[in-house]
Amino acid sequence: MSEDRLWKFSRPEWLNSVWARNSGVYAAGGLFSLAFYILLDSAVWSKSALNASTIHVTFVDWLPFIFSSLGMLIINSVEKARLSADSFSYSGSGVAWKARVVLFLGFAALAGGMAGGVTVFVLKFVVPGSAFPAMTMGVENVVANALVGVSSVVLWVSQNMEDEYSYNLAL
Amino acid sequence: MPTAGLKTIIALSFVLAVGFLLVILSCALWHSYYPLLVVATYVLAPVPNWICSHCANPDDFVESSGAAVLDLGRFCTGFMVVMGIALPVLLAHSNIISIPAMVMSVIGGLLIYGTIISFTMFFQEEQEF
Repeated sequence: MSEDRLWKFSRPEWLNSVWARNSGVYAAGGLFSLAFYILLDSAVWSKSALNASTIHVTFVDWLPFIFSSLGMLIINSVEKARLSADSFSYSGSGVAWKARVVLFLGFAALAGGMAGGVTVFVLKFVVPGSAFPAMTMGVENVVANALVGVSSVVLWVSQNMEDEYSYNLAL
Repeated sequence: MPTAGLKTIIALSFVLAVGFLLVILSCALWHSYYPLLVVATYVLAPVPNWICSHCANPDDFVESSGAAVLDLGRFCTGFMVVMGIALPVLLAHSNIISIPAMVMSVIGGLLIYGTIISFTMFFQEEQEF
């Protein structure tokens, strides 16, 4: 245990294994796929014969998902090691500051996508008072954006296991 | 790892044939050929992993960019595997294929993917450092 650790509880040992890390990345891909196909399901269902209502999925319904995915892409493209500005070599040219700005933009896009999903759900489905089979399209929109958020959290956490992982391999 | 012999090959090819049989039956019995997409998905699923493992430099631990490429491959593979299950469910939900066709194509797809995975596990080249 190093002295500069902040938290009382350390991560459990199994969380640092290569196996847990890889399965976390696989799970993130699976969750993102689930989000995409839930949204695609609402679009396909909207055009199928089962949809008796006049509400249809348009580009507006896809927009929150596009923003969420963009946020996820930005968040997980940032090199995590650049965030800790403790060492001089990384903070020298202000890389940590840049990383924080980019990361802020990413989280803003992710949260904006989530909020956009709720907005579409409320404005398009709740306010006109649509009945339940058609309401599913709005619920699926919210669920898809939430799943993108969960997926990026899983990917972030499993990428943060990297330190011990590469250390173990280098030994 | 158990040694892979002739019996393993025969068993794996039998399972693969059963998987293809289920998927093709799920298409042909209802005259709707969308479930064939499942086969394409599962055949393509290990490809991102394979490409990215060749792109990455495994000796590069300093910058950890090699691990990032590997992660991208794993992410895409996870995406494809869930896609193989989500696609028939999606088609069945919109009444494009029937529920029995969905069940058959999901089981067939999982058999095909299981065959591919166990084949690569059994016949992996021994990597000695």
